[in-house]
Amino acid sequence: MTDRQGARRALAWLVTAALLVVSTQGLAADPRKVVRDVFPVAETGFDPAAIHDLYSAGIIRAIFETLYTYDYLARPAKLVPQLAAGMPDVSADGKVYTIKLSKGVYFQPDPAFGGKKRELTAEDVVYSMKRLADPKVRSPYAFLVEGKFVGLDAAIDAAKKSGKFDYDRKIPGLEVVDRYTVRFRMTDTDYNLPYVLAHEALGVLAREVVDKYAESDGRVQSNPVGTGPYKLGQWVRSNKIVLDANPDYRGFVWDYAPQQPGDDKLVEKMKGKKMPQVGRVEVYIMVEDQTRWLAFQSGELDLMNMEGPLAPNAIGADGKLKPDLAAKGVRLDRFIDPEIRYMYWNWLDPRVGGAGKPQIALRRALAMSYDAAEEARVVLNGQAVEANFPIPPGVVGHVPDWKSTIKYDPATANALLDKFGYKRGADGWRTWPDGTPMSIKYAARPDTQNRQLEELVKKSYDAIGVRMESQRDLFPELLKLERQCKLFSREAAWIADYPDGDNFMQLFYGPNSYQSNNACATIPEYDALYKKTTRMPPGPERDRLYQEMARILEAYAPHRLTVMRYRNELIQPRIEGYRKHPILPSQWQYIDVAASNN
Amino acid sequence: MNDITLKPSVAVRREIPHTVSPGLWTLAWRRLRNDGVAMVSLAIVAAFVLLMILSGVGLVAKNWSREIGVNYAPPTFLGPDAAPAAPEPAAKSQEPAAESGGTPGSAFNSTVVDPLADVMKEIEAQKAAPAGESKSVDPLADVMKDIEASKSTATSAEQRRATLPFGADKWGRDVIAKTIKGSETSIFVGIAAAIVATFIGTVLGAVAGYYGRWVDDTLNWFYAVFSSIPYLLLILAVAAVLQHKGTMTIVLILGLTGWTGVFRLIRAEYLKHKGREYVQAADAIGASNRRRMFKHIFPNVSHVVLVQLSILVVAFIKSEVILSFLGFGVPVDVVSWGSMLNEAQNELLLGKWWQLVAAGGTMALLVTAFSLFTDALRDALDPKLKGNN
Amino acid sequence: MWAYVVRRLWQMIPTMLGVVLLVFILFNLFGGDPAYVLAGKISNPEQIENIRRQLGVDQPYYVQLGIFLKQIVTADFGSSWSTNEKVSQILATRLGPSLTVLVPLLILETLVSLGLALAVAYVRGSLSDRMVMIICTVGLSISILVYIIVFQYVFAYKLGWFPVQGWGDSFLENLVHYASLPILIGLVVAIAPNLRLYRTFILDEINQDYVRTARAKGVGENRIMWVHVLRNASIPMITHVMAQLPGLLIGAFLLERFFSIPGIGREVILAVERSDFPVIKALTVYVAVATMLVNLMADLMYKAVDPRVQLK
Repeated sequence: MTDRQGARRALAWLVTAALLVVSTQGLAADPRKVVRDVFPVAETGFDPAAIHDLYSAGIIRAIFETLYTYDYLARPAKLVPQLAAGMPDVSADGKVYTIKLSKGVYFQPDPAFGGKKRELTAEDVVYSMKRLADPKVRSPYAFLVEGKFVGLDAAIDAAKKSGKFDYDRKIPGLEVVDRYTVRFRMTDTDYNLPYVLAHEALGVLAREVVDKYAESDGRVQSNPVGTGPYKLGQWVRSNKIVLDANPDYRGFVWDYAPQQPGDDKLVEKMKGKKMPQVGRVEVYIMVEDQTRWLAFQSGELDLMNMEGPLAPNAIGADGKLKPDLAAKGVRLDRFIDPEIRYMYWNWLDPRVGGAGKPQIALRRALAMSYDAAEEARVVLNGQAVEANFPIPPGVVGHVPDWKSTIKYDPATANALLDKFGYKRGADGWRTWPDGTPMSIKYAARPDTQNRQLEELVKKSYDAIGVRMESQRDLFPELLKLERQCKLFSREAAWIADYPDGDNFMQLFYGPNSYQSNNACATIPEYDALYKKTTRMPPGPERDRLYQEMARILEAYAPHRLTVMRYRNELIQPRIEGYRKHPILPSQWQYIDVAASNN
Repeated sequence: MNDITLKPSVAVRREIPHTVSPGLWTLAWRRLRNDGVAMVSLAIVAAFVLLMILSGVGLVAKNWSREIGVNYAPPTFLGPDAAPAAPEPAAKSQEPAAESGGTPGSAFNSTVVDPLADVMKEIEAQKAAPAGESKSVDPLADVMKDIEASKSTATSAEQRRATLPFGADKWGRDVIAKTIKGSETSIFVGIAAAIVATFIGTVLGAVAGYYGRWVDDTLNWFYAVFSSIPYLLLILAVAAVLQHKGTMTIVLILGLTGWTGVFRLIRAEYLKHKGREYVQAADAIGASNRRRMFKHIFPNVSHVVLVQLSILVVAFIKSEVILSFLGFGVPVDVVSWGSMLNEAQNELLLGKWWQLVAAGGTMALLVTAFSLFTDALRDALDPKLKGNN
Repeated sequence: MWAYVVRRLWQMIPTMLGVVLLVFILFNLFGGDPAYVLAGKISNPEQIENIRRQLGVDQPYYVQLGIFLKQIVTADFGSSWSTNEKVSQILATRLGPSLTVLVPLLILETLVSLGLALAVAYVRGSLSDRMVMIICTVGLSISILVYIIVFQYVFAYKLGWFPVQGWGDSFLENLVHYASLPILIGLVVAIAPNLRLYRTFILDEINQDYVRTARAKGVGENRIMWVHVLRNASIPMITHVMAQLPGLLIGAFLLERFFSIPGIGREVILAVERSDFPVIKALTVYVAVATMLVNLMADLMYKAVDPRVQLK
């Protein structure tokens, strides 16, 4: 090698080194820090307005930002500003919200912006909300904005007539006051608006991006362009999603106060760090339980939610991590998910539904025949607890030691049925009071866990002499019948959209039949109380009303609360700062990877 | 010449020693008898069939669904689990108090009026009646007794056995009883479905291969259309049409969707044989098409049919396992090897292997015996195919 | 012969029509309504109608059927109802992984089964013959589900010889690293029944008269096996291999599920679960075309191998 060549080489090295130093200066995220996570179901797409499942929502949470989000460690969940500069300014009557935005928030660079840096403004916020209401986009979360903002419904109607939503039309309820201020005018007092503003469906996106990339259905599922800490990297559909740290993200400093036992160490490690630290997130789709579990054990995954069937492998009967895993340094984050499950009976069916005494008695008897504790213990392998109150823990309005009047009591159930004339026929099965043979149809999806549930229901009904008839069908069919109020009986589930009790109590509100009220039950006393609660701020008064409503539900038994499941998040030792949040669907921007274990 | 036949016994018929040559099946049986493996297999299959009949009439394994063991009770030769699966402690206080004050649930005085209030009070009063009360007073006496009786067998944990001869499943049901009952279901499904499928496939295949031309085209059209639909969609469709969701549904699902392989093979065989000399010879002596098809060609093809039948029996017993995996197996009050293996899938990783081994092993035994016997039967039926030349 | 080929190609049209009709009827009657699943947690009947309109399922049946036929002719089935990904793209991207597993599997399985069948036929009646057949029989009596579960646990997890799951970016990496365990399992599952069947075919031929004649004429045993017997036994063998082809794609879904391979089999299950008609339509049409072409090829090969066969 000649001197000239040698010098040139050295120069090249020097320049490269210098560039490296300079380029990584602005980036807190280290691309060598990789976190491997897993989804048990395939994703659908990454358009905030088109969110369909919890897992796609997780990706959206990493790429987009909302006005508000949740404090990482605070329990119960507490809102903190994300795109907003502070908490909202609320008028005295609770109907007008004024919110100022942070300045200097930029979208990730994209050809749609024509090569220029694009700052996020109030216009974008309002635009994103209008999109949710656009009939063409048919957002599954349109209900978050419909009927709530002054003038929005009129715009929706106009869109239905003309076939196109006019995004330039000014809507009084969604006002752009100035470049960094929005003002919301509600049609009625609404204390839940800040929660709604923290939902992933309200992730803010730019109009140019939608104009450029929208597909035939008006959605932008494949080109997410947000302001958040990550951007979409490699994407192999239904198989692998890679998120790379967004170099143009403004970043934030990790600063949260400890809340639960074990948080102190976490805070010590993470406080003051500039986030995000993780430069690359690889999400794998693994459908089978065994695959996920083996992959975690062999170190191919860093994070995993341990679902029911295999949970006893990792978690002992006492709810603690098994010693062999603990010895490897694996951690367990375990809490009850803000979700309830309940078994309902069709209120509109003349023989089983309604407020007539014989029908109430039948439903109460069916409810009392069912041992929810056994469902938790056997069907869900101990990874659940009996649900007694309609609002789960972690959600405002929950009552921890509530004693429901509906208990597992087959003796009383039998007595009740006898008293109301459901006599046993010659074959041992009970009949309707008029003597005709009786059977209760129960619908279940065809998978393993639901089959076990079906077995349990059959056992329970057998013990009180009621014949159960199985109705097995594909999920879309069951859903359709349910929405048409034609499904007889099923165990349904509801997970919190936001941590307020209203999100749960609305499930049993009469006018929500054909939508979220699966039993299609209308109980006047309940409905009257519910309407009152929507106008009250959270507090002891509202709680009292919720408890009255719970007793009403127990008395009329349109359904039977069954279980609430545990969430068991397993964490490899190399992951630092991980504390699973009950509401946030993903949290890769809040964690770090221990440097030595790369 | 006048025919001798019309005049009875005119001529003395010479007695020619007349040996009846043994028929095909007698010969086959003789050969089978000499085959050791075949006889053992036959014995095993016969035993299973006997078990199936006994189970079907309810002489054995009648109470397979009774939960007589604790959940996941291990086999007796392993000994009971060290610590019984303790029920989950009630929701611990590690979940934060989320509510903002308010009266605790236990002491909550509701103003809600229970529409059944008076009835419930009556029932409570009756339940509180002292045990010594004369039975005639208590209208619920016999019902209560039944409840108590079923409670003691079903729910009291102390009375449930800690181990069973080959363990218990998730609910505490005896694995041996389930296996026996499961054999009945699975074998029945396998044989019945195989017969349906083989019959359809053979008849259609013979007709298509033999007649050729437009008959072949039509049947091929039918076959092509049928075999192009994704198996899953086909299963759904057949399941939806046959509303009754019982074991017969599975038989029909498998039978009506599984004939395509047989069709294809038999058609190929008939195509092949049609061009053979002996068929042309039969044509020369004036045998009709149907005669040629079934009397002449079929015996040369029957061993293929038989082998296909045995393969299908095996295939369908295994398909039932996959159907159960997809959720279209037997209903919840019926047990089969498929439903057992489906349950066992997750149990294995928990270290509970007994249901997997019981169902899998029994299935393996039957299928092996069945297949070996059918091989031997085939060898015995056709001397030209005898293994040892 | 060309007349025959042309005639068969013509016949594909009524078959395709039959398939179209059958799939259309099946799906519309029994396939489930996707609108409710796509609608989300809370939806009113108006929103459902909106969705159905967008999907095009609110149109009368004959209109929908007409659209279906047009789609087949233009080979454009639109986009998935749940992810809006173009169907052609779905198929193009998923076909690769499926074939990476299935083609080596098919080749290996045929060669190994054939080789073993010939070897076993050679020593027919001996103890080794019996032993191999018994092992085969035991092997095929175990469900593929059991094989997958146990193999994945033992060879991938416990012994670490293969990855537990996954799929990479490069073809070579996929073939050698990720596909090897699935292929191995597929091989073990397929050899047993194939071996038995091929043995039957070969023994069939060996006991025919022409073989005896050939032996009497002094032809060597090897030549008899490799040239004469094999040629005749190959007809049913070809039938068997060909018949397996179109079904393989979808049949491999179990392997794809457990090993997280982004293939067609898994896609079909996903589409059926979600009532995603465009994907199901496209797959059915392509499988149908493949089946028909494969059948045609099989018949042509009969003629090539056995001149006595008359193609009518």
